[in-house]
Amino acid sequence: MTLKKYFAFCLLLLCQYICAQQDTIIKLEEVLISDHQLKDFSDSQSVSKLTDSVIVKNRTSLTSLLNYNSVIYFKENGLGMVSSPSFRGTTAQQTAVIWNGININSQLNGQTDFNTLSAKDFNSVSIRSGGGSAIYGSSAMGGSVHLNTDLSFVNKFDNTIQVNYGSFNTLAVNYKVKMAVANFSTQISVSHISSDNDYAYLDTDKKNENGQFENTSLNVSLGYKIDSKNSLKFYSYLFDGDRHFSGTLAAPSQSKYLDLNSRNLLEWSGHNDKVKSNLKLAFLSEKYTYFENAATSVFSYGSAKTLTSKYDLLYKINAKIELNSILDYTHTRGLGSDIGKNDRETASGVLLLKHKLFSDFLYEIAVRKEISNVYASPVLFSVGTNYSPFSFYQFKINGSRNFRVPTFNDLYWQGSGNLELKPESSYQLEVGHAFAFKNTTLSITNYYSKIQDLILWSPSANGNWRPNNIGKVSTYGAEILFNYSKKSAKNKLDFTATYAYTISEDEVKKKQLIYVPFHKFTASLAYSIDKFTAHYQYLYNGKVFTSSDNFYSLNDYLVSNLGINYQVGKKKFLQVGFDILNLFNENYQSVSMRPLPGRNYSINLIFNF
Amino acid sequence: MKFSKLVLVAFVSSVFLFSCSDNNDNNDMPLGSYDNGTLILNQGGFLKGNASVSYLSEDVLTQQNNIFSLVNPTITLGDTGQDVGLYQNFAFIVLNGSNKIEVVNRYTMEHVATVSTGLKNPRYIAFSNGKGFVTNWGDGGSATDDYVAVLNLSTYAVSSTIPVAEGPEKIVETNNKLYVAHQGGYGYGKTISVINAITNTLSTTINVGDVPNSLTINSGSLYVICGGKPSYAPVQTAGSLVKINVADNVVSNTINFATATHPSNLVINDDAVFYTVGSSIFKSSLSATVLPTTPLFTTTAQGVYGVYSFAVNNNKFYVGDAGDYNSNGKIYVYSSSGQLEHDYTVGVIPAGFYFN
Repeated sequence: MTLKKYFAFCLLLLCQYICAQQDTIIKLEEVLISDHQLKDFSDSQSVSKLTDSVIVKNRTSLTSLLNYNSVIYFKENGLGMVSSPSFRGTTAQQTAVIWNGININSQLNGQTDFNTLSAKDFNSVSIRSGGGSAIYGSSAMGGSVHLNTDLSFVNKFDNTIQVNYGSFNTLAVNYKVKMAVANFSTQISVSHISSDNDYAYLDTDKKNENGQFENTSLNVSLGYKIDSKNSLKFYSYLFDGDRHFSGTLAAPSQSKYLDLNSRNLLEWSGHNDKVKSNLKLAFLSEKYTYFENAATSVFSYGSAKTLTSKYDLLYKINAKIELNSILDYTHTRGLGSDIGKNDRETASGVLLLKHKLFSDFLYEIAVRKEISNVYASPVLFSVGTNYSPFSFYQFKINGSRNFRVPTFNDLYWQGSGNLELKPESSYQLEVGHAFAFKNTTLSITNYYSKIQDLILWSPSANGNWRPNNIGKVSTYGAEILFNYSKKSAKNKLDFTATYAYTISEDEVKKKQLIYVPFHKFTASLAYSIDKFTAHYQYLYNGKVFTSSDNFYSLNDYLVSNLGINYQVGKKKFLQVGFDILNLFNENYQSVSMRPLPGRNYSINLIFNF
Repeated sequence: MKFSKLVLVAFVSSVFLFSCSDNNDNNDMPLGSYDNGTLILNQGGFLKGNASVSYLSEDVLTQQNNIFSLVNPTITLGDTGQDVGLYQNFAFIVLNGSNKIEVVNRYTMEHVATVSTGLKNPRYIAFSNGKGFVTNWGDGGSATDDYVAVLNLSTYAVSSTIPVAEGPEKIVETNNKLYVAHQGGYGYGKTISVINAITNTLSTTINVGDVPNSLTINSGSLYVICGGKPSYAPVQTAGSLVKINVADNVVSNTINFATATHPSNLVINDDAVFYTVGSSIFKSSLSATVLPTTPLFTTTAQGVYGVYSFAVNNNKFYVGDAGDYNSNGKIYVYSSSGQLEHDYTVGVIPAGFYFN
């Protein structure tokens, strides 16, 4: 589908996009995007978008990008190791990652490891807070992260090479080319990162051993306008990662973990004045291979292949009412040394309605029903309103029911899998206020969510660990997003801050869930004067409990990064930068016994031609 | 920080100054703060590095947690405490996840030495002929690299290794012989290895029932509880109690448990035989030819969902409850008739009781 998105329109209707970037100006160009519900059916929720200029300033991993620029909390098993999110106090499986409109959470463990996605491969990363299962399916309970490649059709041939070299022999290279003519557009991004990752554990005589990693990713996006009404798009993302899993302060490790993931999507879109229709065919494959001892050939593995077809029909009944239906059929085959070989088929139907009842009031409704050959699913819904009594203010309410389906590991793990599992589900209610002034945007959202049938693995009387739908959790809290940006002829200032207050209570034990901080605060300040840019990032993570009786905990931590950039020459041919990460040499752990690096450095070069 | 450590050392040593004979009777002068009582090993979570040692006084009235780190504040005990071996004045704490053994004075908890090389997935320790013998899985996923490490008790170094079948677990000694139960590691074992403690070699292998999980020596015989293959194995088998004559290493008697019964935690005390099934404690006798069908008592009233660790001492039963394996666990002390007398919150996953 072709969507004409103009800047004015964006300001008017989508100012809940808190643009955490230097260049808040969105170019006046027509772009093709695949995940249109993110813009069309997210008016009653909070969406913040990180664009190119923010992505380029951050380290390669998606973990680092989101950790410093969003309310999502991350726990990382050491730098570059497995990284799990917690969004609004939920579990790692309750955050969905949506790539060009397709849910790419692992079918095996239900979550996305945020260190297996290279942020630099995408030109926009959006964070949609709150329930989204009615549109995006499983896992969109705490919220969803959207990775998109926007294709534009303005003549261009832009090349960018970015090279970072830093402490621990860390080398990251990204090459990106954008090429477009009137009816054809392509964007290709290749990233490679390698690191010895042997940083010292502060205040000990130990270092991070067996933590070396490297990965390569390729993101290809192609768009072709067949005629004024029809277009074809193809997206492909390949990630090939090789990580040794580092040990802990107390336990050495010799293990190695390989990831090989590919996501492919072919999409046809057609439209006329009233109807936009869109057919997607996606093929996703994921595979991990785990070596307990990297020096041996003994390994275990798991893999899943998913084929999805999706038909999306948007019908504009009149200028005020849009009706959207999505039909989806998905077949997944899981295969692994511990899960055997199993197939899952699901089909779902989604109906979306958006009605601009008055010029300043709209409501949107989404209903989803999924059927599967393995588990029974509840009817999911999302109902929300957006009321904008003043040009600078929007008031939003959204209520939704969301779910997370049992994974292949939950269902089929040999000796433990439980075929009786139901999906986890939640009811969520949120109330948001969004303000947008000339240079300032502010949004404040309060939410409450009740999660039931949480799938927990626990030991049974015979010592066997099995998953059961036994958990009940209440989460509630507040999210605040703030941006101030000001630009004059030579100077530019951008300040972004996020704060999340989160209570996530196990209703059985009446205790805070482990690894959910009560407080998370991020801030970033960028200031440029002429050819110099300086930026400062700040991350505060409150104390987290590491045991379910809340007896053991990890201290809060505060990490700052400082970077400067200088643009060489008049055109933007070359930018030279230097970053100091963990400026104050904070000794911190995001996962118990796994220290993260102290002060370290990185130099970067960006060539544009 | 340093001042408080000083105070602590002063406290610990003031008690230690009373040390006298190495007689370990109940009424003697204590050899250290932790003499005349029970050491409890808390396994800690895998990869969480929070193994710890708790102490329970002999009268079961005083209990203290984290005694290792209290006495040795600069040393992290380690990851996944698996076993404690008591030998002379020393306790050898086997840390499975850390691939090491911390050697401490068993009465004061003062650190003596660390064995950090030559061990890989160490499990249990026994002593014979002046040497330590430590079972090791090697890589858990490999069935062919399992071994028993021989530990030199003066240098605290692994002096040699003895290759054995997959999944060597508990180990006991008698008369310069070591008996190693092959519970099977990631698989299911069904043998006992016999090791000659003089030559450090494997002398023979004895076939027993499936999954031998606990063993004890009693008046010239080795008794082995085999748990049987669990319900989640491809084919479930029932447990058995196997008696072996240690003079000729021949199985002299086998009693099979009822279908789908999976016993563990064998203890023989005088002529009484104790074991657990799920959350029930059973009592039998050495002369019995039929196993009891009703338990002596159960721990279900305490919410114990399967006995994690079990011991019998001075006519009292000690039960460790791992809870959710994430929070601090509990221990329960029962009278000889199974009445609950005391309970205490200890560290994460109480895995064993060792009587000082």
